[in-house]
Amino acid sequence: MSVRELDLKQDPPCTSGLGNYLWSDPPDEKKWADCVHCGMCLESCPTYEQTGQEQHSPRGRVHLIKSVAEGKLQVNEQFMDPVFQCLDCRACTTACPADVDVGGLIEEARGQIRQAMPLTGVKGAVSKFFLHDLFPHQNRLNTLGGLLRFYQKSGMQKVVRKTKLINIMPQHLVVMESIMPEVKEPVKKKYKDVKVIKAKGETKQEVAMLTGCVMDVMFSDINESTINVLTRNGNDVVIPQNQTCCGALHVHAGDREMGRKLAKQNMEAFKDFDKVIVNAAGCGCMMKEYAELFKEDPEMHVKAEEFSDKVEDISKHLHDTGYEKPKAEINTRITYHDACHLAHGQGIRQQPRDILLDIPGVDMVQMPNSDRCCGSAGIYNITNPEMADAVLESKMENVPDDVEMISMGNPGCMLQMAMGVQKYGRNQKIVHTVQLLDWAYKKEDCMKEGE
Amino acid sequence: MRGKNIKSKDKHILNLANIVGGARSILYQKEDLLAYDCDGFTIHKHLPKAVVFPKNSQEVAEVVKYCSENDLPFLARGAGTGLSGGAIPLNEEVIISMVRMKKLISVDLENRRAVVEPGFVNLKLTNSISDKGYYYAPDPSSQYCCTIGGNVAENAGGAHCLKYGVTTNHILGLEVVMPNGEIIEIGKDGIPDAPGYDLLGLITGSEGTLGIVTKITVRILKNPEGKQTVLAYFDHVEDGSQAVSNIISAGIVPAALEMMDKTAIEGVEAAAFPVGHPKDIEAVLLIEVDGIAAGIDEQIEQILEVCRKRNVREVRAARNEEERARWWANRKTGFGAMGAISPDYLVQDGVIPRSKLPEVLRRINEISDESGLRIANIFHAGDGNLHPLVLFDARVPGESEKALEAGSLCLKVCADVGGTITGEHGVGIEKREEMRFVFTEEEIAAQTEIREVFNPHNLLNAGKLFPTPSRCVEIKKEMKAQAIS
Repeated sequence: MSVRELDLKQDPPCTSGLGNYLWSDPPDEKKWADCVHCGMCLESCPTYEQTGQEQHSPRGRVHLIKSVAEGKLQVNEQFMDPVFQCLDCRACTTACPADVDVGGLIEEARGQIRQAMPLTGVKGAVSKFFLHDLFPHQNRLNTLGGLLRFYQKSGMQKVVRKTKLINIMPQHLVVMESIMPEVKEPVKKKYKDVKVIKAKGETKQEVAMLTGCVMDVMFSDINESTINVLTRNGNDVVIPQNQTCCGALHVHAGDREMGRKLAKQNMEAFKDFDKVIVNAAGCGCMMKEYAELFKEDPEMHVKAEEFSDKVEDISKHLHDTGYEKPKAEINTRITYHDACHLAHGQGIRQQPRDILLDIPGVDMVQMPNSDRCCGSAGIYNITNPEMADAVLESKMENVPDDVEMISMGNPGCMLQMAMGVQKYGRNQKIVHTVQLLDWAYKKEDCMKEGE
Repeated sequence: MRGKNIKSKDKHILNLANIVGGARSILYQKEDLLAYDCDGFTIHKHLPKAVVFPKNSQEVAEVVKYCSENDLPFLARGAGTGLSGGAIPLNEEVIISMVRMKKLISVDLENRRAVVEPGFVNLKLTNSISDKGYYYAPDPSSQYCCTIGGNVAENAGGAHCLKYGVTTNHILGLEVVMPNGEIIEIGKDGIPDAPGYDLLGLITGSEGTLGIVTKITVRILKNPEGKQTVLAYFDHVEDGSQAVSNIISAGIVPAALEMMDKTAIEGVEAAAFPVGHPKDIEAVLLIEVDGIAAGIDEQIEQILEVCRKRNVREVRAARNEEERARWWANRKTGFGAMGAISPDYLVQDGVIPRSKLPEVLRRINEISDESGLRIANIFHAGDGNLHPLVLFDARVPGESEKALEAGSLCLKVCADVGGTITGEHGVGIEKREEMRFVFTEEEIAAQTEIREVFNPHNLLNAGKLFPTPSRCVEIKKEMKAQAIS
């Protein structure tokens, strides 16, 4: 702890803090004022479920965050542990009778911790690589995607797996490697020179689309499906080329400055559009909360709020603006997993289910505790593998045995759940909600052509 | 999570860690302990010495034995949702957290009983057996997360206790670790009404001062065949109160009969589960009847009729299960919802004869006016169990004290009209002094003598339940000591 204490002694850049929060943008007092410590959040929290310890529970975390402001605690490593063990799944926000924004407090507290104790050494380098050098740069991500494609296509993957080279990777990365989807060309690159992807048939409206960083590199086929589904239902789709990473991973990690930078760039990139369609729950939720990043900048705050109003998850957009019900049957038994940042973050639960149920032949089995976090939580499964594994195990116990597919609306969850399927010897296919809809449309088209 | 090594040189910490299986099962650093400095009662905050997480009865017994041999005060804690401060470590206790003992050990449908560990969450029991048509009746509003062990300690009630009784009516057997570390079993095999003294009744509701419960056999019930809920809005509290009395005197025994006043409605409507109660009404009643399906419609009709006679503004039965669930979610999250209209609250728990309801509410209003603090009322009107919620802001100097005083005055009113100071939340720290409203010094002394039989050195959860120092006891002890010398 002594090294950390030294870190603390450096002069803070700003003295407008609160209690022992010495930096600007401290946790917002108004957010914890609503918490009366009733404990209704306890059972909703995956880390409390695993540990039974209240510093790893929502109300415990709020209590600690408040204690720093009251001067009872320091921003130090001990405080960091409960704050960074949080999955940021927001289940507590749903459970809370007083609507306490625990997730917002956690992110603000992480911002203070990262300024008080910048990551150093290997951890710092890894974090800097992912958050600064990789995610904000689409071209680098594409290069990585290209490398992955090469890795998969060239037979390297087989070689690595066969020669046991893979055994030198940490265990949780080995499992991750094994479930990596086949990487295809990113849609942002593919449609680089296409100004507007026109609706098939009559245009009802024009929408802009966030392609996302992980989504477009790892799951560009889902982006492809999203475009197909949108254009089929009367949407002209525009992919602004100057859009960037939504910043969720940075904000979750406490790098709020970078979060603001990315937020500004996206607000600029999408300024000419009335609607921004997102197919990744985590990105959508972040973009709906940009205003939180600009609490101390009233002008940007207003702008961010206006921007957030335009952001919409694909399932809600389809549900609200109407969509053609597919006529072809996809005979399959599926279950649906509520991504935290859709269900708890944006209150979207029924819309994706309705879409799935509108596909003829789809038999939906209810997953118990379907809105329980899977442990992916951004890059939590990389930073906190042990807890993420425990959370995943309890998630997988709830996946019904007799389903063929698990549908969801977030790429992070898709990777994590695929890992769960692999790890626990299950055989479900992991799909995005719009993918199933797209497949049904495609099947319908094929049948028509056949006629 | 913390690493595998203990970073403490305190021998007690090291020894306790050894008993419970290492660093993952003990907390001893200030940053972690702070999360345990209070429970649902937030006015008193004290840091424990440590928190240990035993996995089974043997570990609990060993921790207790260690504490007792080394003169370390200790207490048990469940989910920490108690509202009277029963789990607050006033004396730097070692907290024995029961939450990792959370197994449902067995369900015996034929004999309608289940055995659970104390950390098992109340609602999970009902959820585990509902598909077979059974449920566990005591339903405190915190049932989403409170533990059955904690329910036993506090003899918890709930909305449906009007018809089905409180926790003590559903406990068939207990395994208890005594304050010297001995494990005993009461009510063996869950056979009710064993001969001899009713020890189950004594332990249940003893607020963790007589022993630590490590295994519980509870009664489970068959789901009622039918169920219906009515919502009624009244322009005057008096009419609402009269309706309550009239329903009961009409011979109906509702499963639940709940009431909220204007301020409470403002709170629940501003919070996470609003149902659209009108803002200008003075009282809302939530009335539920259950039982054999055949009689239910008739009872509902009777209830609607009673309400209409009492000038109800609007009254109707739930249209469907979803609406019924929404009404209950709105009511059951009522305490936490106060956070939406006030930074802090203190909830009281008086019991009064139903007929005194209008009078008591009037006097509570006067207390509110005099103290300058708002008081919301959410209560189990059917059994006269009032929950005045005193709203305050702890950041304003002196306001916590004012809130405590207002709460105490509310209890005084309850005691004065022939009621008592707690229905289901327990005395804990909060209502120690108010015990004097209902018991004489001699009566209190008699009770502390019972505690001494079980907990002679008062290391287990000291400073709870009774006013301290209870002068009579002190005098008697002195006399005894003098007599011996």
